[in-house]
Amino acid sequence: MPYASTRTVSLHGAIGHLVDVQADVSPGQSGFAIVGRPDQSLREAGDRVRMALVNSDFPWPATTRRLTVLLSPADLVKRGPHFDLAVAVAVIAADGQVPRSALTDVAFLGELTLDGGLRCVPGVLPMVLAASARGVRHVFVPEPQVREAMMVPGVTVLGMRSLAQVVAELNGEVVPEAPPVPGLSSSRLLTWRGEERLEEVDLADLRGMPDAKFAAEVAAAGGHALLLSGPKGSGKTSLAERIPGLLPDLGSEESLELTAVHSLAGTLEPGDGLITRPPFSAPHHDASKSSLVGGGSGQVRPGEISRAHAGVLFLDEFPLFRHDIIEALRQPLESGDITVARAEESVTLPARGMLVLACNPCPCGEWTAEARTNKCGCSAARRTSYQAKLSGPIVDRVDISRYVGALRRDQHDVFEPEEPTAAVRARVAAARARQAERYVDCSWRLNAHTPGPFLRDRWPLTGAGQKLLDDDLYGGGLSSRGAVRVQRVAWTLADLRSVATGRDVVPGVAEVAVALQLRKAEPVALSTARRRAAG
Amino acid sequence: MSAEASSYPTDRPAATEQERLARVALSLLGEPGETKMTALVAELGAVHLHELLLGETDIEGLHTDVAARLAALDPARELEVADRLGVRFVVPGDDEWPSQVESLAGAGALHDRGGVPLGLWVRGPHRLDRLERAVAVVGSRAATTYGDDVASEIAATVASAGHVVVSGGAIGIDRAAHRGAVSADAPTVAVLACGADRVYPQGHKAMLDHIAATGAVVSEAPPGWAPHRIRFLARNRVIAALSHGTVVVEAALRSGALNTASWTGRLQRPLMGVPGPVTSAASSGVHEQIRLGAMSLVTCGADVLELVAPAGERLVEPRRGVDTERDRLSTRRRQVLDAVPAAAAAGTDSIARTAGLGVREVRGALEHLETVGLAEHVDGGWRLTDEGRH
Repeated sequence: MPYASTRTVSLHGAIGHLVDVQADVSPGQSGFAIVGRPDQSLREAGDRVRMALVNSDFPWPATTRRLTVLLSPADLVKRGPHFDLAVAVAVIAADGQVPRSALTDVAFLGELTLDGGLRCVPGVLPMVLAASARGVRHVFVPEPQVREAMMVPGVTVLGMRSLAQVVAELNGEVVPEAPPVPGLSSSRLLTWRGEERLEEVDLADLRGMPDAKFAAEVAAAGGHALLLSGPKGSGKTSLAERIPGLLPDLGSEESLELTAVHSLAGTLEPGDGLITRPPFSAPHHDASKSSLVGGGSGQVRPGEISRAHAGVLFLDEFPLFRHDIIEALRQPLESGDITVARAEESVTLPARGMLVLACNPCPCGEWTAEARTNKCGCSAARRTSYQAKLSGPIVDRVDISRYVGALRRDQHDVFEPEEPTAAVRARVAAARARQAERYVDCSWRLNAHTPGPFLRDRWPLTGAGQKLLDDDLYGGGLSSRGAVRVQRVAWTLADLRSVATGRDVVPGVAEVAVALQLRKAEPVALSTARRRAAG
Repeated sequence: MSAEASSYPTDRPAATEQERLARVALSLLGEPGETKMTALVAELGAVHLHELLLGETDIEGLHTDVAARLAALDPARELEVADRLGVRFVVPGDDEWPSQVESLAGAGALHDRGGVPLGLWVRGPHRLDRLERAVAVVGSRAATTYGDDVASEIAATVASAGHVVVSGGAIGIDRAAHRGAVSADAPTVAVLACGADRVYPQGHKAMLDHIAATGAVVSEAPPGWAPHRIRFLARNRVIAALSHGTVVVEAALRSGALNTASWTGRLQRPLMGVPGPVTSAASSGVHEQIRLGAMSLVTCGADVLELVAPAGERLVEPRRGVDTERDRLSTRRRQVLDAVPAAAAAGTDSIARTAGLGVREVRGALEHLETVGLAEHVDGGWRLTDEGRH
């Protein structure tokens, strides 16, 4: 029977669907047809595949017979040039030049050039992940992407340079020579001094600010959203840039998720392995909505919010972001993923980064209430609209709010060395390890993502702690959403306390009191902020 | 007295050796600042009292074994030991004696503590007679990050202006106060409840060493004495007495800082308090004192300077809010502004009717409002600009 089937993957966001590519060569009017909702780039596959076959010395069956390529499942829109290899192999196999038995358990990823060479394609990692999850055990990928594909455990990866090599491998023959394949994104032309700057900054560079540093540590330990407000030049941005450094290396799952996102975005360098450090993403307030939340034409590209997955998304001067962008951030903040809806499809991508917001007292950052010191040039109307955003829906979803005052020399305690990033990271890592253990059978990893009902039923506060929280809630000091957030932060404070004392601390009055202060931007006890100093 | 260990100059007027030794002996005899002792010294003189006590005379209920205890003491040796620790004993009659503490003679007693100290044990180069305009900055050990921030700003500002900052060397506000002064490269004075040679709390070693090298560590208690709780009460009185005024930053209703404040009040020197949020327990003691009129409210170093600098110097301009264009309008023009509609433009006649003013005056006013950007002329009428709506 002149029929063969190969497999490849179609990506919709981070969801990969295994697609069967069936080729049928039958007698009849000679010609070629591809059916099963291909998109424009896939329609062109016929031309690329024909030239590739011919130039690789394989016959093109459609010159004498009728060649039909069917993509299934039929209801799915298939797009992307990476179908080329699967189509070509299916055609060759249907023509009887490759045994169909060699095609079980195998998936093919790669674009073809006219001379039969393989080209790299974006999204190899998520595609191999999807294929592996559906039982595929061997994948053929363009040679430079072997490393990316090998990140998926349990899959044999075969890196090839040309169609002829793939066919020879499938037939168990000697693999012929072929010219090397260039990488995906042409290798970086531009490197610059200081591009690794964020890896070199240390918390110890910042003097003073015990309050804001403590808040950053708590936020990092529990993954809580943090708002830093204060005058221009007070060190808000410098602190935010140092928060990724406070986070421990990514776990294997997070690492794979984030690398998959970057693979989709096409920002993964061929030489890069898994991304193991938490990312830092700081989009400018002029950024478009699709660059922030994801979108673009054709294939949906992950936005900054997804590229900050498992890391830090920093929105500096966030009241200057457009209203619709701020609105668009609401849902991912709650759910940890972002859904981009289109007419044809809706695509969901991971977006569980830690949110850090910064804002000034006014757009120019110079406003003070007192005439003598005020250097602000903003109009009253602009200032009002700027400040109105500080009470908006996003700020209600912030767990920790801190005021960062202007820098002064006297804040620096010369008698106590500033703590380096590594020391804080060790505590944050230990606190996160406690959370991972507590939430081992749950779908989340951090306190900030624990649903309210679970906190109530499985991980309650002590009686006295709950009473303190209730007093504030029923006294009108707190919204019920706020109360859940306070409870989450109280757990993080308890985790940090457990790490410091070596005892299992359940959040009680002390933790709730501090969590309330953090939520309401009230000062905390110095001994709390400088706990390490007190021992 | 070995010259290398002590910076105390021997070539200037000093109390007699007999007086100094008598005061050393008496200060070793009882708790610092005990009213009985300070009152007797004030009445009889240290040398005379020392002699009387050695003669086993039971004076007003001092224990009868006093003579034996006193005889067992070797004040000269104590001075030698202190000298080796870098500690000198400053007594009345010394050139360095801070005469402002004499006011304690008329300031009564609190918790059986009061009166002029018998002498002060000092470690550090700063002379105690150079504290005329010193400012005490004190407060809770259980401070918040807010108090820490304000205290160090106040200390840095007053220290930069040439006032020595006096505090208690403790954790919390005290540390912030010393830190602020140090940041201004100014000497600061720490008055301790333990001996001036000791470090308490242990975590403050670097800071106290720095103060001893650049300012002065002072105690009424002899070297080696431990920081017993009771000694803090006497210590607070010395902080108040050395300083020209006292600022309290964060004190709960039961705070030792309020004890210092009481002494400042009794000495009739400027007493200042920094408010916090009214909901903050850490500031409740300060709020109560401000409410009762005992403390002046200060918010920053500049406010403190106004109160502690010589009268009329360093005055703080009354603060006022930022003027808007609307604030700068005359009342009649504001009347016109109120009559200008926000959305749909209205004609001059209609605005004049609403404002209850003459058309000619309104026309002039509208032109002015346009010039300052509060109203705009559109579609043959007038309406507010974005700015005018605020």
